Amino acid sequence: MAPISPHDAPPVATLITSADIVSPETRVSEVADRFFASPELEALALVENGRPTGLATRSKIFAILFRRFGLEIYGRHPISKIADSEPMTVGEEERLDLVLDRAMRRTFEDIYDEILVVDGEGLFKGLLSVKRLVVEQGNVLAESRVQREMALTKAREMKKVTDLKSQFIAHVTHELRSPVNAIIGLSELMKMALGRGDVQPLRDKLPLLSSSAVNLRAIITNILDLSKIEAGKMDVFSETFDLSDLMQEVCETTRILLGDKPVAVDVECDERPFSFNSDAIKVRQILVNLTSNAAKFTEEGTIRLTLARQNAGIRLAVVDTGGGIREADLERLFTAFAQLDDAKTRRHEGTGLGLTITRQMVGLLGGSIHVHSVFGRGTTFEVLLPLSLPQAERAANE
Amino acid sequence: MSDRQRNILIVDDDPKHLQTTREILELEGYAVTVHDTPFRTTEIVNKTRPDLVLLDVNMPALSGDRLCSLIRSNGTHAGVPILFYSSNDEESLRASVSRYGASGYVCKGDIAGLRRRVAQVLAA
Repeated sequence: MAPISPHDAPPVATLITSADIVSPETRVSEVADRFFASPELEALALVENGRPTGLATRSKIFAILFRRFGLEIYGRHPISKIADSEPMTVGEEERLDLVLDRAMRRTFEDIYDEILVVDGEGLFKGLLSVKRLVVEQGNVLAESRVQREMALTKAREMKKVTDLKSQFIAHVTHELRSPVNAIIGLSELMKMALGRGDVQPLRDKLPLLSSSAVNLRAIITNILDLSKIEAGKMDVFSETFDLSDLMQEVCETTRILLGDKPVAVDVECDERPFSFNSDAIKVRQILVNLTSNAAKFTEEGTIRLTLARQNAGIRLAVVDTGGGIREADLERLFTAFAQLDDAKTRRHEGTGLGLTITRQMVGLLGGSIHVHSVFGRGTTFEVLLPLSLPQAERAANE
Repeated sequence: MSDRQRNILIVDDDPKHLQTTREILELEGYAVTVHDTPFRTTEIVNKTRPDLVLLDVNMPALSGDRLCSLIRSNGTHAGVPILFYSSNDEESLRASVSRYGASGYVCKGDIAGLRRRVAQVLAA
């Protein structure tokens, strides 16, 4: 059996079952009456001036009295005459497991006798039932095993979180520095060109400089958004807007992102206008995140945005004919920076935060996000949103 | 130092960084070759025998630090000076240098440092 740590074992004072006392001078017949009158009474402590002097247990008292002429012989005597004058006595701060050890080492006839508990001054505090101690000890052992298991699991989780956090920081650092360094390099070259009085390099480098700055801003926005969401500081506003119109707008943005790749983008929506109540900015961001991912990973074919009513809400989907995602990779898709390749060898630009943010935003709007993918064939991201925002958010805005 | 023009190979998957670094070093008077993927780098190093290789660290499929140990272990030009040139933090670069047998590192964005370090390595 696994030993229990001192930490797990409660002091016996918390396990006292009764505090029934009787004066040592009380007549045996009176004590017997008390035991007869209360069938659940198992033992009485003999206490004088607050200090215990003995123990009268039901079984032992009755064993004596039921003998032939027992009551006649002892009835008029004080209980102290036939009570156990040296019962097992423990301090209130003693540990359950140690007390139980001692109790179990008693002789066979004493083993189930109640144990007296006294405080530091030797004053009577109560009685312990050995049966109860055994049960408690069992509980503590079971709990301590469960707790140890839980503590271990917790420790493993904490380690995972810490590892992810340091990975996260390493990624953030790299993702922020990379575009800044491009900007520094480009501006350095432009400065040198200016120094030579050569204007041509400026024409070449200015667009790169500005696209690096735009990229940097996107990364910063993502990181700030994520920390805002995680700190619970992201507000949700409720408004009514035309969702089909918003999807059309996102569709246009996606076409621009695709540049000259042979990919068609279209919107499938039965109702136009499609009046919807939610936070328009967040719905747009969710859609833009999903479509820009699709644009990044789709080399040819189509990206389709669909909208339909479903149950008590709506179903938004972004369906692409891109490279698809391996089944093994699907589950960490939404984890911050869990880029599918190792950080140092990843293939695609981006912060690795897009889907994490997307999922958090969907959650803020009271919805859920799902992904279906066939590797090599394409991916479908599906967002289910309720017809109205969760109650708490609405109340906060009223 | 000999009069021969020094040859530098830069390997980086990010075209912006690749071009910028190339120009900066060309303006310093070096002959610069660029390669935008870690693949076939060892082959290029063996064939062109550059005086210095600048390796980006975060690259698709094969990281610069692994690439460094590949050059060191497989090359016929295995002793070539190799500098990591990356946006990673200095601590991780320093760790990569000793672990993968590079000659040193330069932080991307530290252009003065890049000029100084390259000159130092080539003078040695």
